[in-house]
Amino acid sequence: MSQDVLFQLNGVSKKFVKGKEEISIFDHLDLTIDRGDFIAVMGPSGSGKTTLLNMLGGVDQPSGGEIWFDGSRIDSLGEGALTKWRAHNIGFIFQFYNLMPMLNAARNVELPLLLTRLSKAQRRKNVETALALVGLSDRAKHMPSEMSGGQQQRVAIARAIVSDPKLILCDEPTGDLDRRTADEILEMLQLLNRDHGKTIVMVTHDPAAAKYANHTLHLDKGKFVQRELVA
Amino acid sequence: MRSLLSQIATVTAMNIRSLPRRLWMSLAMVLASAVVVAILLAFLAMARGFEVTMNGAGSDGVAILMREGAAAELNSVVLREQLNLIEESAGIARDAEGPLVSPELYVIVDGIKKSTGTEANIPLRGLNARGMAMRENMQLIEGRMFTPGTNEMIVGAGVLREFDGFDIGREVRFGKNVWTVVGVFSTGGNVFESELWADIRMIQSHYDRGSSYQSIRVQLEKAGDLAPLEETIAREPRLNLDVQTEREFFAGQGKQLQYIAIFGRVISFIMALGALAGALNTMYTSVADRAREIATLRALGFGNFSAFCGTIAEALVLAAAGGVLGSLAAFVFFDGLNASTLGGSFTQVVFKFEMSPDLFVQGALLALLIGFVSGFFPAWRAARIPVIVAFRNGV
Amino acid sequence: MSDLYLIYKNMTRKPLRLFLTCFAIFIAFLIFGAVTTLKGALDSGIELSADNRLVVVNRINFTKSLPIAYYQKVSAIDGVRDVTHMNWFGGYYQEPSSQIVAMAVEPESYLRVYDEVVVEPAQREAWLQNRQGALVGEKLAQIYGWKVGDRIPVSSNIFSHKDGGHTWDFVVEGIFTGSNEQYDTRQMVFHYKYFMETQTFGGDWIGWLALTTDDPSLNEQVAKSIDETFANSQNETDTSTEKAFNKAFIEQIGNIGLIIFGVVFMAFFTILVVVGNTMALAIRERTGEIAVLKTLGFSSPRIFRMVLSESMLVALLGGLSGLAAAWFLIEGAKATMARFLPNLIMGQDIILQAIGFMLLLGLVTGLLPAIQALRLNIVTAFNRGV
Repeated sequence: MSQDVLFQLNGVSKKFVKGKEEISIFDHLDLTIDRGDFIAVMGPSGSGKTTLLNMLGGVDQPSGGEIWFDGSRIDSLGEGALTKWRAHNIGFIFQFYNLMPMLNAARNVELPLLLTRLSKAQRRKNVETALALVGLSDRAKHMPSEMSGGQQQRVAIARAIVSDPKLILCDEPTGDLDRRTADEILEMLQLLNRDHGKTIVMVTHDPAAAKYANHTLHLDKGKFVQRELVA
Repeated sequence: MRSLLSQIATVTAMNIRSLPRRLWMSLAMVLASAVVVAILLAFLAMARGFEVTMNGAGSDGVAILMREGAAAELNSVVLREQLNLIEESAGIARDAEGPLVSPELYVIVDGIKKSTGTEANIPLRGLNARGMAMRENMQLIEGRMFTPGTNEMIVGAGVLREFDGFDIGREVRFGKNVWTVVGVFSTGGNVFESELWADIRMIQSHYDRGSSYQSIRVQLEKAGDLAPLEETIAREPRLNLDVQTEREFFAGQGKQLQYIAIFGRVISFIMALGALAGALNTMYTSVADRAREIATLRALGFGNFSAFCGTIAEALVLAAAGGVLGSLAAFVFFDGLNASTLGGSFTQVVFKFEMSPDLFVQGALLALLIGFVSGFFPAWRAARIPVIVAFRNGV
Repeated sequence: MSDLYLIYKNMTRKPLRLFLTCFAIFIAFLIFGAVTTLKGALDSGIELSADNRLVVVNRINFTKSLPIAYYQKVSAIDGVRDVTHMNWFGGYYQEPSSQIVAMAVEPESYLRVYDEVVVEPAQREAWLQNRQGALVGEKLAQIYGWKVGDRIPVSSNIFSHKDGGHTWDFVVEGIFTGSNEQYDTRQMVFHYKYFMETQTFGGDWIGWLALTTDDPSLNEQVAKSIDETFANSQNETDTSTEKAFNKAFIEQIGNIGLIIFGVVFMAFFTILVVVGNTMALAIRERTGEIAVLKTLGFSSPRIFRMVLSESMLVALLGGLSGLAAAWFLIEGAKATMARFLPNLIMGQDIILQAIGFMLLLGLVTGLLPAIQALRLNIVTAFNRGV
């Protein structure tokens, strides 16, 4: 495996049983994600986009095949180890932001840092940096209910990057936002990728959003039908 | 107006149909209401039962005389000479055989309680045929009357219920003397049913009382009129007696249990507050659970008021269900429950819990009150929260 | 920020709900604390009885008297160390409703049999010397403000004085305290001889005998030989340990007490069930948030602990404040209730029992959602829609 490869999926299958039927989502899927890439995964509903994302994030496990991350296999890790791995390596951004409603912006961003050994002062510094990066330094004390959707998503981005993970996974990050706000969020992701070297995998069904990525993967019925370089 | 009513009906029906979906929440509300109603009814039934037992015993037509300051028959002594003086007093009903006067005496004996297996005090009362006639409701329900001059006794139905070893034909030993049970009597459920009755002369001689008594009961010429007797007592220095009607006497004896009844009310009130907090909490949670649903209805054009009424109706239905459950539980567990306690005269009073229909009414009212209070505030809140906020928070 | 802060924020996110929950728990434990203490006070007579003390009463009933000769006869029985006799006076002070526990006793043997009664030697001597003297318990003296040397008129609702009326004059010669704090000092005793000489019934009879045995192991044997001695006499006796005697007496209050406590405890548990249900649901509502925390990398055991701590904290917050309120209530009622219930004390066992129930409440209400959180599958949680 080359130094540049962050993620490698070898012949990954995913099946689950629904009633009496066995449904196959992927069958022997191969995928390589390079360090520093920004990939948009597109495809119709039910094509397996979110399942793929969940497996990359170690939230879901494959029924067969191997998943390698940064030189080690993660598909065989137990739940506890996987949780720890996730805390160190992955940042998540969700469609509905999923901020803790009872915590203010700064505390929401600080949440992943509770899983590190950083000191209080360091944690505060990291939070300030992350909030500054998403342009929300002045909203640190605001509660999620006091912020717009775009602002909440920016807080979510700050939360995803605050512990400096190697990979950021976004599940329809702009699905709940208007065009203008969506563009702001996507520009921010692009900036994180370009200037801060973050590897990003983003699931979306919005072609306009996909344009911000370096590569687009089209997924249909559990197969990549197309892999193209975005101009 | 009609549309408002049909709106309310629609919302109410919708809320009630969706109750099973919120099963646990609904059950908690029912349970909260049930416990409040059950506690209240239990205490009321107890107080009612005791009241019936004590008040049923006291008649206005009968006066009871005891040594002054004695307060209870047990502490009193009345001498033969005093009895003779009283028999001649004015104000006493008379028949062909003379004045209706009953000198009485009792000793406290031990019986073994069925419930605990321990000894408890029972009065063994000595009296004569006149005394028995003064207990209006007295009737033998089994066996026969004791024969004067023998060691025979009849037992109250309450004693039979609560104590071991008083069945007809049984021989009972109190000290050196053996008594035979020959009959069971009832006095309509009042306090006399907690007693054993025997011939007064036998008791005087067996228990060293000579010719003394503890109390005198007299049938008054005019119900409630104690004046002639009081006058006799005032005139005659040898009569250091207090006179009161039997009703007054038993009202005084019942005080002790009244304290328990007050205690019960206070406890059930406080407990009700706790359960009410639980019910309110449940309704708040239940309403919050479906804020989006309510907001949808309001977005569709249903008025605030119908949303409000729908929630109140839901709470009322749940609380009423709890009320029924609580009343039933109280009825099943407490109605007719035999209880006994130490009465004012230092002996056991046996009584039954009584769930009369008016108690059910009180229980129902309480349940509806709980429903209203616990539905009102959450309903108010649900109806006032702006539609847009409810949607956005999706709580 | 720490996990504790997260727990705190979770707890307080809906202040009204937290308040109502805590309030219901508060009430439940207020009642629990107060009622259990009350029950304990009622039962305390049983606990405090001396192990080697026996009571001899008339077989017919303890309200029936015994001949004075029994005093000498019982003291001659093997295994009896000290014996004294007592008569119930039915005393009250000024008003018939102000009843006083007053007994006529044989003074010297009384002090030997009831060694909990502590009197200064000088006062003890003075009391033994003065026939009209009374020995008054500390609490009783406090209630009526009596001091050594006072002349006190005490009336009887049973007996009449030879000189007319029902009132006797006594001189307070000594004030006694109890050797342990629970010993009931709301009582007074006076000379049997003085009582017999001045009451109108005449005769020489006693209410009951109290005695100590050489050793508790002899209790049964001594009781048997006393009852055998008087078998088939005009006055048969019934000898039991003081403990058994007190217990039977308390039980005369009857199943009323049992029923009341039963009802209260049922209500107590029902309130906890109602509250517990809401607490558990409140946590279950947050399934989505728990899924997010898990996705962020919070481990399942850590979330389990957080959920459980939250319900424990709520249970303890409501419960301890309720228990504290019960304590204040009892401390406040102590003074007024002292005349009826001397041992109104919230003991350690009650507090521990209450805390046990609080922990149980927290555990039961927290455990189910916590286990659900532990097992929560993030994928299904998100699919259900957060």
